[in-house]
Amino acid sequence: MRSAKRQQIWRTEIRDIVRGACGGFLFGIPLLYTMEVWWIGSFIEPPRMLIAIAATFVVVFMLNRTSGFRNTRDTNLQDAAMDSVEAIALGLACAALILTLLREIAPSTPLDEALGKIIYEGVPFTLGVALARQLLRADDNGNGQETTESRGRQSGSSQTSSPAINDTLSDIGGTLIGSLFIAFNIAPTDEVAMLSSAVSPPWLIAIIVTSLLISYGIVFEANFSDQKKRKQQRGIFQRPLSETVMSYLVSLAAAAVMLWFFDQLSFDDPWSMWLSYTLILGLPATIGGAAGRLAV
Amino acid sequence: MSQTQSPKTSSQATEQEQPSRTPAEWVTFGIASCILAGIVGLVLYVWFGTNYQDDPQISIRESGEVREAEGNYYLPFEVSNTGGSTAESVQIMAELEVNGEVTESAEQQIDFLSGGETEEGAFVFSEDPQQGELTLRVASYKLP
Repeated sequence: MRSAKRQQIWRTEIRDIVRGACGGFLFGIPLLYTMEVWWIGSFIEPPRMLIAIAATFVVVFMLNRTSGFRNTRDTNLQDAAMDSVEAIALGLACAALILTLLREIAPSTPLDEALGKIIYEGVPFTLGVALARQLLRADDNGNGQETTESRGRQSGSSQTSSPAINDTLSDIGGTLIGSLFIAFNIAPTDEVAMLSSAVSPPWLIAIIVTSLLISYGIVFEANFSDQKKRKQQRGIFQRPLSETVMSYLVSLAAAAVMLWFFDQLSFDDPWSMWLSYTLILGLPATIGGAAGRLAV
Repeated sequence: MSQTQSPKTSSQATEQEQPSRTPAEWVTFGIASCILAGIVGLVLYVWFGTNYQDDPQISIRESGEVREAEGNYYLPFEVSNTGGSTAESVQIMAELEVNGEVTESAEQQIDFLSGGETEEGAFVFSEDPQQGELTLRVASYKLP
């Protein structure tokens, strides 16, 4: 009995952390693909770094008083302060992870430059963590009772001729919309080419793995708005793993089309360039796509 | 403060009494505090323990053998900032003198060079730089 309760407590805590991290990714990824922020991070001075952390703390503290990333409604001052510390730590950790993945931070990077980048990229991530519940519309009761309108999908879909096809199409649509929403801002910029020139094949594999993990986390682990209903859906790709992989492929295709649309890639470019560009833009596209499936 | 997600728990109970933090939350808070303290500690170390305010000192050197491909000669270089602060728009130049006159020059610009950072690249010549006198120099930088 006790151990079951303890398990439950840990599960809740991990869910809260994953929810916060996913909110951070949604809000922070576009700024991670902005070279000006890397530059600011590389020459900013230590006093300014501390001011950045302090300012972020104040803003996140105020956000935590009203929303936050945990599934609770009432927060007193002490709780809000503690959650703010957690949100900042989570934001810094996620920013450091992705910066390392994109080779903006390497073992050869000087300490002050690495710190500046992590702290300045960590600010949008931390805000995303604090806004996680707003961004991803988690239900406040945690008892999974949602209205059928929340998905814009009729509960009577089981009576239509082919619900599986409908649900699958709706998932693909949601993924495409979400991918466009996040990655369209990034596709025409030089950052894709810059980052792509710095990654080697092992890092591309790491980017694929990270994209899949974040996508899986957003849709299936974080107990966001219509999780319960998602698990009851009957689409062709409704198994969590297959849905994650399917939506990743859809996001990659969307990323490739966007890159071609903005003339970043042309048909006479080598296929290896198509691959690395698409995978680099595929990371934000997947994150957007995962959020899009929840929102549609 | 976080309530369990099981359907047995009514959400009303948690609204009337402020639930205390679970052990799990204390553990994550502990880890989070360590991360934050670590970052702040590192910033303070950079602030007081390093020479981050010193002027940039930029040096350039040849970092390897000249290689030839399709009639061009590639001279790899390494430019590093051994000073404290970051230099922006670092302009570096290479001049090749053959028989007392400059026959070719090459230049390159580095966007940002932090204190302690090293960047690599190559100058390209159409003549063999080993046949003449080569001068590598840092021409200019600006402070961000």
